[in-house]
Amino acid sequence: MFRIVMQHIHHGARWCFFLAPLIMLGEVFCDLQQPTLMSQIIDNGLAKGDLGYVIQHATWMLAFALVGVLFGASSGVLGNYASLKMGEALRSHLLQVALIDRNPAGLEPATLITRITNDVIQMQNLVMMVTRGLVRSPMLLLGGIVMSAIVCPDLAPILFIIMPLLVIFLLIVVRRSVPRYTRMQRAVDTVNRVMRENLQGAKTIKAYVLENHQRHQFNQENSHLRQSSQSAAMATVILSPVIQLMLNLGVVIALSYGGSLAISKTISDGQIIAFVNYMIQITTAMVQTVNIITSFSRAITSANRVQAVLDEEPAEQRSTPTAQRPTGSSIDFDNVTFGYQQSKPILNQLNFHVADGQWLGIVGATGSGKSSIIKLLTASFDQYQGTIRIGGTDIKQLDLPVIHSKVAVALQDSLLFSGTVRGNLTYGAPGTAAQLAQAATIADADKFIDRLPGRYDAAVEQNGKNFSGGQRQRLNISRAIIPDADILVLDDATSAVDQETNARIKSRLEQARAQRTTVIISQRVTNVMACDQIIVLADGKLVAQGTHAELVQRSDFYRQLVHTQLGGGNNGHA
Amino acid sequence: MDMHKRVPRNIHREKVSLGDWRQTVARIWHYLATRRRQLAIVFLLTIVTTVVTIVGNRLNGVVVDSYISKNKLRMLLIVCASMAGMYLISSVFTYFQNSIIIKVAQDTSAHIRRDVFANLQRLPMRYFDTHDNGDVMSRLTNDVDNINTALMQTFVQLFTGIISVIGMGLAMLLLSPLLTAITLLSPIATYFFSRRIAKVTQKVFMTQQQALGNLNTQIEESVSGKQLVQLFDHSEQTMADFNRTNAEYTKAAFRAQSFSSVIGPFNNMTNNLAYVLITAAGAISILTGHGGITVGIIFTFLIYLRNFTGPINNVLNLINTLQLSLVSAQRVFSLIDEQPEKDVPGAVHVTQTAGNVTFDHVSFAYETRPILRDVNLTAKQGEVVALVGPTGAGKTTIMNLLTNLYPLQQGKVLLDGRDVTTIKRQDLRKLVTVVQQESFLFSMSIRENIRLGRLDATDDEVVVAAKRANADFFISQLPDGYETVLSENASSLSQGQRQLLSIARAFITGAPVLVLDEATAAIDSNTEADVQTAMTALMVDKTSFVIAHRLSTIQRANQILVINDGQVIEKGTHASLLAKQGFYAGLYNSQFDTQK
Ligand SMILES: Nc1ncnc2c1ncn2[C@@H]1O[C@H](COP(=O)(O)OP(=O)(O)OP(=O)(O)O)[C@@H](O)[C@H]1O
Ligand SMILES: Nc1ncnc2c1ncn2[C@@H]1O[C@H](COP(=O)(O)OP(=O)(O)OP(=O)(O)O)[C@@H](O)[C@H]1O
Ligand SMILES: [Mg+2]
Ligand SMILES: [Mg+2]
Repeated sequence: MFRIVMQHIHHGARWCFFLAPLIMLGEVFCDLQQPTLMSQIIDNGLAKGDLGYVIQHATWMLAFALVGVLFGASSGVLGNYASLKMGEALRSHLLQVALIDRNPAGLEPATLITRITNDVIQMQNLVMMVTRGLVRSPMLLLGGIVMSAIVCPDLAPILFIIMPLLVIFLLIVVRRSVPRYTRMQRAVDTVNRVMRENLQGAKTIKAYVLENHQRHQFNQENSHLRQSSQSAAMATVILSPVIQLMLNLGVVIALSYGGSLAISKTISDGQIIAFVNYMIQITTAMVQTVNIITSFSRAITSANRVQAVLDEEPAEQRSTPTAQRPTGSSIDFDNVTFGYQQSKPILNQLNFHVADGQWLGIVGATGSGKSSIIKLLTASFDQYQGTIRIGGTDIKQLDLPVIHSKVAVALQDSLLFSGTVRGNLTYGAPGTAAQLAQAATIADADKFIDRLPGRYDAAVEQNGKNFSGGQRQRLNISRAIIPDADILVLDDATSAVDQETNARIKSRLEQARAQRTTVIISQRVTNVMACDQIIVLADGKLVAQGTHAELVQRSDFYRQLVHTQLGGGNNGHA
Repeated sequence: MDMHKRVPRNIHREKVSLGDWRQTVARIWHYLATRRRQLAIVFLLTIVTTVVTIVGNRLNGVVVDSYISKNKLRMLLIVCASMAGMYLISSVFTYFQNSIIIKVAQDTSAHIRRDVFANLQRLPMRYFDTHDNGDVMSRLTNDVDNINTALMQTFVQLFTGIISVIGMGLAMLLLSPLLTAITLLSPIATYFFSRRIAKVTQKVFMTQQQALGNLNTQIEESVSGKQLVQLFDHSEQTMADFNRTNAEYTKAAFRAQSFSSVIGPFNNMTNNLAYVLITAAGAISILTGHGGITVGIIFTFLIYLRNFTGPINNVLNLINTLQLSLVSAQRVFSLIDEQPEKDVPGAVHVTQTAGNVTFDHVSFAYETRPILRDVNLTAKQGEVVALVGPTGAGKTTIMNLLTNLYPLQQGKVLLDGRDVTTIKRQDLRKLVTVVQQESFLFSMSIRENIRLGRLDATDDEVVVAAKRANADFFISQLPDGYETVLSENASSLSQGQRQLLSIARAFITGAPVLVLDEATAAIDSNTEADVQTAMTALMVDKTSFVIAHRLSTIQRANQILVINDGQVIEKGTHASLLAKQGFYAGLYNSQFDTQK
């Protein structure tokens, strides 16, 4: 945990982090002077009836109080700064790692989100408490012990017996509470996930009247969270009363034992009073320390969860790129075999070649692996067998940004981000107004964009909720066109677009990308039939390959597609 | 590059209303009121523990004054023994008191979360369209957490504070009015100081929590869209955007918390000042022989000071925690206050329908821009009605209105001649099953996902529905079959597989009206043909609406409605529409035009 904190505390914040406790020492020092001065007033000033002495010492006490507040306040502000800066850096780092993570078995969104938000805040709070409290309270504690031992050495053994007992007790309790906090944070994850799904799936829930069902599920998770939070908090609730009790008993012993000593005149009244005062100070400090330790056990859990995200950070960024950006734009799949889980291959011994400037069409049944091919081509995963080449260069030897600038993809689910139309279109690459308009025209999005209030500056809600399915898809396509990449891939990107618009997009695209490598995945025969080459996938295997005319002869699957969609003919109006 | 500037929309939408904090407190109290008994017990326990503290502390002084100074060893030991007993009781009570408080606080938070969720469920579609998930989630976690913390911390402190003030105040007054007045200085100073600070901080806290909400929104959105971020190498810019919001939050939080971090030391100082004053004043009055003050009394007061002003100052200290929790409570309650979808008064239960659907001069706009204009249509029992038309024409919107997802502005939608707005929403939606363009799958098992269509469906029925939807084929290939738990957003299934599951879920409902909104868009036409055959069998004497762009999907419909620009512009069968040589014919022929 300490490592995470240190790794994310930089520059000024680092200074503050160390400075805050030091300054706090000042405050503690000032605080510790008070009982001593007081006992001197009582023992010396009062006993001798020396008013001057009393006033002089009282002034000192006053001065210490005022200086103390200065120390305290500045230390508080510095500690605050350090903790917030740490939180800021940590959040930023975590999101960064989460965004570049390419592990298919990585953490799921809901837990990632809680880790970046909730867990970081826990750690931030802890750092805050630590800078102020971890020095203050233990110092007050230590100071209290030392001072009381000095003021009244006869009574000191009382403390030396009680303190170790307390420490052992503390350790036991903390050990018990950490796993409970872990369970609690996991429950937070679940509640967050259910919540998130209900927000995302609101329309589906309404459509199927699942409100009660979902509420029931939420209530279950919610009471689970309640129980685990309670159990975590209960693990530590025993601490304060026990500690108070032991220290109070210490006071009683000090009084009775000290009292008997005082009666036999071995020690003075003032000494007893000071000692008891220190004991009370120790109690307070001890209770505060316990509070910090309680937050510690919670923060340890959070730290572990945060660490798990950080561990996803690829130790070595793919083997260092050895190849230059290829000039050509051919695509090769050589004996490529791939599975998300080791056991079952999704793509099986795949071989195909797309020459520079060719158009490739991919068809195949639902789940046959079409989108997976694209994921491999864009290097979303590395753990496949065989070789994939772009422009003749193995993509494993290319830098990710190079691959991504070489290949632009319109993904199957046309996710949009909240912001503006312009912001979404220029997501892949900046574009001038003319470029935006041109891309929008190719994707036939220009007309509806022009009708939006504010046109390219019109608001887009999260996931593009305020657009129709087809409109989203056309924005998605425009977004992929703008970078003008050497290879363009459209993964079933017009499935929600009507035939006429689809035909328009297709012909404009053919114009814009004549003689440039383009991959079209589609369920519509009309979208792929003009391609230079079409491959038919079934169950991860390439079962047929050729032009439209060839496939109509050769592939049952393809012929069937043509038959259902075009009514048996490929040349005319049914 | 300011190309992708986020519009921090929520800040604009929601006024920073610092408004009526009294009302907010009253509402929190309303939640606590159901736990009145426990709170009463805590109060009683607190009385005991506080009294013990007071008496114990007084005894400290008595011991010094009466026994040690006067050499009474036996009495000393007896009193000490009884003190020990009292402390024991006090500690046991403290334990119970804290345990109860933890329970009350957690129960209350859970209760609040439950209410928020329950209301959220009933909010109109419009709300979900226009709100960011991350912010809502932040309210439910971070803000409820703040309330929880405040509840846990304040109660014991508050009770202790009150009782201490009364108890110790009396005891001290009896001992020495002068020293009592001095002791009181410290809490009074803290009170005024905290109040000043609280005024400033409330606003800053609101900014802080809103910034936190925005932060969550951005995290949520970019984590969800991770694939795109990677594909477009956008992480640098996403991070730049994020870092800006992140810094905003830090700034707001720094301002808010710096104020509060000053309160502690200040508090400490006033305590120390009182300490000095008591010692000095006490010493002086002993020396000058005024007011009958003894060393023991000074001693008692010094201990009182720690124990008496401690709790009060703690409460005052908590003013910031309280402020934060009030701000949070406002954010949370504003979710509970969102107006839910309500059935019109007198809405009726309808559990059966023949499935005759009529749209009668319907016009509609989501915001101000009109989307539907004077739409008329009729669908009779047993018919398959197809809706076609350019994207964005309003097809999905028409179906949204059929299930009363958005309030209708003009005209009527009738089901068996009955205005759908007069049917209880839940009934209506059970009668009309819609497979949406983007159906959502939950991260539960495939079986449970399909069963969401009808919760009392048996396992066999689930399998039958999956077979009809042609989903059984791929499900049975999965290692865990129907028990496969889907990852979030069903990301481990292909797009088409997700659609097949949604169709299975719709098939299992057995509703008399079925709407497929591009439900097969990502499915290959061979599979689609099978699904359609199954649907035809399933939908005899039921009404179905099919929205599709692949015209092969809809050729056999009884009625095809062509929607353009929010209007029904043509109506007829495939053959009659082709013969008409109008919009539909153009649409149909367009697919062949661009062939090589
Ligand atoms: N929730 C919404 N808020 C605001 N505007 C919306 C919303 N949903 C749709 N719109 C707008 O209403 C119009 C009609 O959308 P609708 O989804 O009904 O079209 P559609 O005919 O179903 O198109 P598609 O074939 O692309 O699915 C579009 O211009 C769209 O931008
Ligand atoms: N992240 C994943 N983890 C595990 N399995 C996956 C994952 N993504 C896809 N699959 C499985 O891999 C197979 C191929 O999926 P893919 O998305 O490539 O199909 P597709 O051909 O694009 O189908 P569609 O036409 O439906 O989009 C499917 O059986 C799917 O269930
Ligand atoms: Mg796919
Ligand atoms: Mg639609």
